[in-house]
Amino acid sequence: MTAAGPDPRRADLDRAILDWMREPGWRHDDERFERLALDLFTFQFEHCAPYRAFCRARGETPDSVQRWCDVPAVPTGAFKELALHSFPAEICSTRFRTSGTSSAARGTLHLDTLELYEASLLPTFRRHVLPDLAAGAPATLRVLAPSPDEARDSSLSHMFGVVLREIGADDSGFDVSANTLQCDGLLASLEACAAVGRPVALCGTAFAFVHLLDELADRRLRYVLPEGSRLMECGGFKGRVREIPRGELYARLESALEIPIEMMVNQYGMTELGSQFYDSVLLQPDELRRKLGPPWARVVIVNPDTGRPAAPGDVGCLVIFDLANTGSVFAVQTADLGRAVEDGFEVIGREPGAEERGCSIAADTMLGDPAP
Amino acid sequence: VSGSALASRLEELRAAGVELRERPARETREALAAVFDAWSDATSTWRRDLAAELPAATGFSAEVVSEGLRVGLEGWSGAHFLALVESELGRDETSARRVSGFDLTATFLAGSIPMPTLLALAAPLALRSPVVAKTAARDPLTAHMVARSIAHCDERLGRCVACVEFAHDDAAKSDALLTADCVIATGSDATVAAMAARARPSSRFVAYGHRLSLAAVGGDGLRGSAGAQAARRLAHDVALWDQLGCLSPVVVYAVGDDVTGADAFAEELAGALAEIEERLPRGFVAKAAAAQVFHERAEAELRAAAGARVAVHSGAGWTVIREDTPRVRPAPLHRFIRVLPARDQDEFLDALAPLGPHLAAVGLAGFGGDQWPLAERLAALGASRVCPLGAMQGPPLAWRHDNRPVLVPLARYADLELPS
Repeated sequence: MTAAGPDPRRADLDRAILDWMREPGWRHDDERFERLALDLFTFQFEHCAPYRAFCRARGETPDSVQRWCDVPAVPTGAFKELALHSFPAEICSTRFRTSGTSSAARGTLHLDTLELYEASLLPTFRRHVLPDLAAGAPATLRVLAPSPDEARDSSLSHMFGVVLREIGADDSGFDVSANTLQCDGLLASLEACAAVGRPVALCGTAFAFVHLLDELADRRLRYVLPEGSRLMECGGFKGRVREIPRGELYARLESALEIPIEMMVNQYGMTELGSQFYDSVLLQPDELRRKLGPPWARVVIVNPDTGRPAAPGDVGCLVIFDLANTGSVFAVQTADLGRAVEDGFEVIGREPGAEERGCSIAADTMLGDPAP
Repeated sequence: VSGSALASRLEELRAAGVELRERPARETREALAAVFDAWSDATSTWRRDLAAELPAATGFSAEVVSEGLRVGLEGWSGAHFLALVESELGRDETSARRVSGFDLTATFLAGSIPMPTLLALAAPLALRSPVVAKTAARDPLTAHMVARSIAHCDERLGRCVACVEFAHDDAAKSDALLTADCVIATGSDATVAAMAARARPSSRFVAYGHRLSLAAVGGDGLRGSAGAQAARRLAHDVALWDQLGCLSPVVVYAVGDDVTGADAFAEELAGALAEIEERLPRGFVAKAAAAQVFHERAEAELRAAAGARVAVHSGAGWTVIREDTPRVRPAPLHRFIRVLPARDQDEFLDALAPLGPHLAAVGLAGFGGDQWPLAERLAALGASRVCPLGAMQGPPLAWRHDNRPVLVPLARYADLELPS
């Protein structure tokens, strides 16, 4: 990977954050987060012109912002409109784009280095999806998503590519190509794992898992995957005509693959973020299922009516503060709803097919530009 | 309603339909005219009860409900109803052509705006078809009240109406209703398509998918007293039903080659929405919608700060965003409106072209002598209604919703060609 941009302050910031990411044990450190967050905000304010203008319009500058949670957050939709990077455009080395239809604008994350991105994703994935994997041991991972070679602008494919490269056993691989789930290969892999009793981790988008279920139903197949097998699903129904509630999806997957729901983990992440959040269920099986992230990323639930933090337990918008985003912007405001749960949070989705009050609610769909 | 109760209810309706078809059509229609008279009278019990109870059931403010009913039912008297029947069916009924309704009509209601519910129950009855209505999840009230008002005006006619409630994903009960000879489906395009796939091929299937409306103001109406008037009228159209109806404008185009016209109109509109919020306060907003509004405001603020000719005006219950291009963008509704600049009518119509199949009404102001040619072009694009600003929420009873007549799609025709 390329080194960080030539700016020495940026290099210092990257180094300090990378040191945190590479520490063997995770340590939540409020003072460290605050210091790095405010330094990063100052740097991004100075180096990202549209962000600086946005902050000034809100009356916020590095002089006025005293706490990490007061750093102005950029809405995810802005990544569709503006190049939000804190480095010279000419050293941009990677562009990840959000998913979307050809008619809709797609958001773009510009990066000059993948070092922080990868340093953040690996320990987080490992901790939440494979917490029982011995150090240095490989895991069998089947990925229901295209490979990074096939989807070069997909951050999801890149993430899985890094995971497979670093901890994937030889029988790991990608099972989507040419935009199609390659079911024969995938099922052969599952059968091989079942034959020798080797647990497998199935990873992919929710929609890909629906395709897998359809295939299994068509072929009248059901698997009993070895104990320890697990499933990591990362959403991905947006823009799809067919949507299945997560509870129903998990129940059907449990029935088809004999993976207990307690071994199924949802990932909450997005192209605009360098870090991801995961269900706590494998890491802390006896505790309430909630989303947890690494110590260098935090979530604040914001009341959309006031823009202020929501009361404890109230539903609000998720605003993510992610130190892995050194090259873009640290604070990102999503349109997703959630609620704080103990030391984590839960994402609140809208029930598929639920009726809205008006008859003009499909306006966004008609306008061809779904809300972010 | 349980599955067996629903089946029994459908049987009862079919039996009541036999009796209904033996009655003279004129008698039925006069009874329905009395129902419309009752609903269009602001002092009637039905109207007062609905105005009192709908806010709690739907989340609209009491002021919005009251004003929405006043505007919406203004041209919906019994006389208007009889005129509608005459205009759509009169000529055929006096010839050798026979016009009748189906043995049973099922209607799937959606949304929470009351006027379409009144018409959805009355229209099949006007053709002497009994009707079963699945109430909308967001408005469990209006259909029952309309049914009671029909029974009050004509007890026998009341036996030909049933309202049922069940979850939107209860496939068995939906399928029971889909056995009706005529099915009226209202909802999102995906919902309607799913119902169409399950309906019997021999059934009459009448679909009303989602529609959207918009406004356009010409150069003559963007500034000064004309601009202020257009903004006040548009604010009224936006405020009624909190912009959630298919006749609510989701966007306004400022058409003219002077870019400052859009700036001025956005400011006027912001002032008008702030003013109307005092009189017609916005109702409940779900967190998901509030989040979308919050997000779209911030996104526009960022573009404005980055140098685009974008301005964000907002208050507690409304948002106006002056955009820099005619490109359509997400519309969170709930009194969130974008002012999109278009250099001329051609650019305006080009921007609209992709929306043509989904257009309902277009409200116009400020086009002077150009308004008729523009209205013709909007009609050609797909709009089913072109009207002045301020009148968008009060369609005539005979409005060709979805570019179709009201009663004809629910009718069966037979031509008797034998020599006399």
